[in-house]
Amino acid sequence: MNQLRKWTPYFNIWTLLSVIIVLLVIAPNISIFISFFVESSENWAHVKEHILPELLKNTTLLIIFTSIGTILIGTSLAWLISAYQFPGKNFFKWALILPLAIPPYIAAYTYNGILNYTGVIQTTLRNRFDITVDQVYFDIMTLPGATFIFIFFLFPYVYTVTRAYLANQSAALVENARLFGRSNLAIFFQIILPISRAAIVGGTSLVILEVLNDYGVVQYFGVPTFSTAIFQTWFGMGDLAAAIKLAATLMIIIFMILFLESFLRRRKNFSYTTTKIRPLKPLRLTKWRAWTAFSYCMIVFSLGFLIPFIQLVDWMLLTYDKIADPVFLSLIKNSLFVAVIGSLMIVVFSIVVANFARIHRSIISNAFARVTILGYSIPGAVIAVGILTVFLEIDALLGEIYNFIGIDSVLFLSTSLFMLISAYVIRFLAVSYNSIEAGFEKIGTKYNEASRMLGMNITKSFWKVDFPMMKVPILSGFILAFVDILKELPLTLILRPFNFDTLSTKAFQYATDEQIHEAALASILIIVITAIAILIFHLVLESDERRS
Amino acid sequence: MFVEIKDLAFHYPNQKDFTLAKFFLTMEKGEIVSVLGASGSGKSTLLRIICGLEVPYSGVIKINNEVMSDESRFVLPEKRGIGMVFQDYALFPHMNVYDNIIFGLKKLPRKERKERADEVLELINMVDFKKRYPYELSGGQQQRIALARALAPQPSLLLLDEPFSNLDADLQIKIREELREIIKKAGITSIFVTHDREDANAIADRILRMEHGFAYPCTVKI
Ligand SMILES: Nc1ncnc2c1ncn2[C@@H]1O[C@H](COP(=O)(O)OP(=O)(O)OP(=O)(O)O)[C@@H](O)[C@H]1O
Ligand SMILES: [Mg+2]
Repeated sequence: MNQLRKWTPYFNIWTLLSVIIVLLVIAPNISIFISFFVESSENWAHVKEHILPELLKNTTLLIIFTSIGTILIGTSLAWLISAYQFPGKNFFKWALILPLAIPPYIAAYTYNGILNYTGVIQTTLRNRFDITVDQVYFDIMTLPGATFIFIFFLFPYVYTVTRAYLANQSAALVENARLFGRSNLAIFFQIILPISRAAIVGGTSLVILEVLNDYGVVQYFGVPTFSTAIFQTWFGMGDLAAAIKLAATLMIIIFMILFLESFLRRRKNFSYTTTKIRPLKPLRLTKWRAWTAFSYCMIVFSLGFLIPFIQLVDWMLLTYDKIADPVFLSLIKNSLFVAVIGSLMIVVFSIVVANFARIHRSIISNAFARVTILGYSIPGAVIAVGILTVFLEIDALLGEIYNFIGIDSVLFLSTSLFMLISAYVIRFLAVSYNSIEAGFEKIGTKYNEASRMLGMNITKSFWKVDFPMMKVPILSGFILAFVDILKELPLTLILRPFNFDTLSTKAFQYATDEQIHEAALASILIIVITAIAILIFHLVLESDERRS
Repeated sequence: MFVEIKDLAFHYPNQKDFTLAKFFLTMEKGEIVSVLGASGSGKSTLLRIICGLEVPYSGVIKINNEVMSDESRFVLPEKRGIGMVFQDYALFPHMNVYDNIIFGLKKLPRKERKERADEVLELINMVDFKKRYPYELSGGQQQRIALARALAPQPSLLLLDEPFSNLDADLQIKIREELREIIKKAGITSIFVTHDREDANAIADRILRMEHGFAYPCTVKI
């Protein structure tokens, strides 16, 4: 009876845009589900019986050990950096994000290049010290090796989210605990881990999804997982239906993980009741404690960035003359272009849906929020199929329209960059959404509500009140999306227009052709561009902290 | 009647029980009514419904003979012309006192805006604090700025949600005298919510008791 009254608050631009965004995200997934039910496949029985058990085993092991590793490393570093002062701290604060600049597949072939028989370690041992070590001891192309790569190149997901949270949110609690004389370890386990649970769970679930989506590392190391199996059934056996069934199985696992995530993050809608958002004051560490902290950060930084980076620079110097030419410039241009456009769209979409969701706390808005981050859980390959299906439908429709008004085909979307960028948006919306949602959560709704009580509508309130407090999470959302697009591989390989190459597709081509040295220049460029983006992010963050 | 609330009921979407039921209230212009109730009895919720931040399940809210909410109508919070002093003040941390106060005056020309800001700052006796940021103010000062910010746009109805809950006892006594004076001087119809009967006694013309979402009128002050 009171329907109209109930819906009035929904009549605004945020609702309209949210609906459109959600439809865009959900369309390819629906197309996958439809074909999942329509077609059946002969290969599926074989795959299910002979391949699936191993896939499940490998995937489970990878997820479990990568999660444990990234949580331990990510949170301990976040805590060290936000609560203590020690030599190099300001450097590590941002340097520890840099492993994100190295895509795991590049790290994988770089480490293999370092460790294999002709690599720097073995040759040095042989030529300098006359020691011959069985290559078995240096074999990284195993499941534990893949886990190592994932941990050291994905932990920043946990580190960044947790650090951002701790720096602003924990001051009162931590200072209290310090007054009560709690030991540092006790504070870490009894206070830091529990209060930053939402942040940690958010970061870790991104890591897990990243692992599930990985194609490059496991393919290169020869560890069969769902992604490789999907590629193999699709391109190897030419059986898209079986690939989709595999993807659907994978989705079930993913939904279980997402369910677990939301369970672990439940009742998260509290924010600080005091008006001040106060930064945590770091304690100065002395003597051996300071050096332990330094060494720990240094080891992680070396493994996750310095060592592979130096090796790549070395290889690049060997091959630079041969590779660098105008064609290479166009690669850079292409990469930057899709990454900037894609992440701008992603940030705007994230803000729209996240703001809609927090203003209307309801079943609908929760569902919208869930759908928005759906894309991230879906393997690149599967999104590619879904998107392609949808765009082919749209083009068929366009074709009819062109026919009807009697012009020759003018524009087909399925061969355009538009399709690739849409795929990026769907795939990486979650990365920035999580950051922006956490930012909204931190400031809560009270400022927005206060603003509305002073006569500003939702949109004006957003610009005048929420946005100024949201700059850091928005920027961090942009950067995370940018970085992800820049190094993205499977989607780009499948959906790029003809003759459109990016740095990542080129690097991948070289690496799989066993031209590791030739892959170095493109890899370095990806890493450097990403690192610069991270540096900008860091500087803005700094000035923002100083101002408040 | 300036304020007419009839048969208001409400429950949060994630809760089965009604937080508020069969709530009636009428107020004269310029009257100050206290709603007195224990923590969790639904006082904040009541204010949120009146100002439009929550959508009621049923009931009618009329202010100055205009329907704010009934079966088919719902006026958005920013269109209601209601002022609110939040339980935790919610001063915008990135704006100084002056900018906080003129926030609700964006429709006025610049000069009038400034005059009005000075006027309310005068009223709360804090003219010298214009350039301060909220975190540079004491709890009592923040509370007064929050009040000034709500008063600045000259709302038809002022809602105050436990404005003393963050203050210590001495300050509380001093400020509640002041508060009544300020409100009476401004002549604004107000609903004032508290769990403290002394507060209610000191400030209100009339007291309403609230228990588990039901309200009972008190004819005499307690
Ligand atoms: N956002 C919410 N979602 C669900 N339940 C809520 C929400 N906010 C409040 N409640 C519940 O509604 C009831 C009334 O809450 P309300 O905040 O109105 O109480 P109150 O009288 O203002 O208490 P206090 O004096 O502590 O401020 C409580 O039982 C509370 O648990
Ligand atoms: Mg309350």
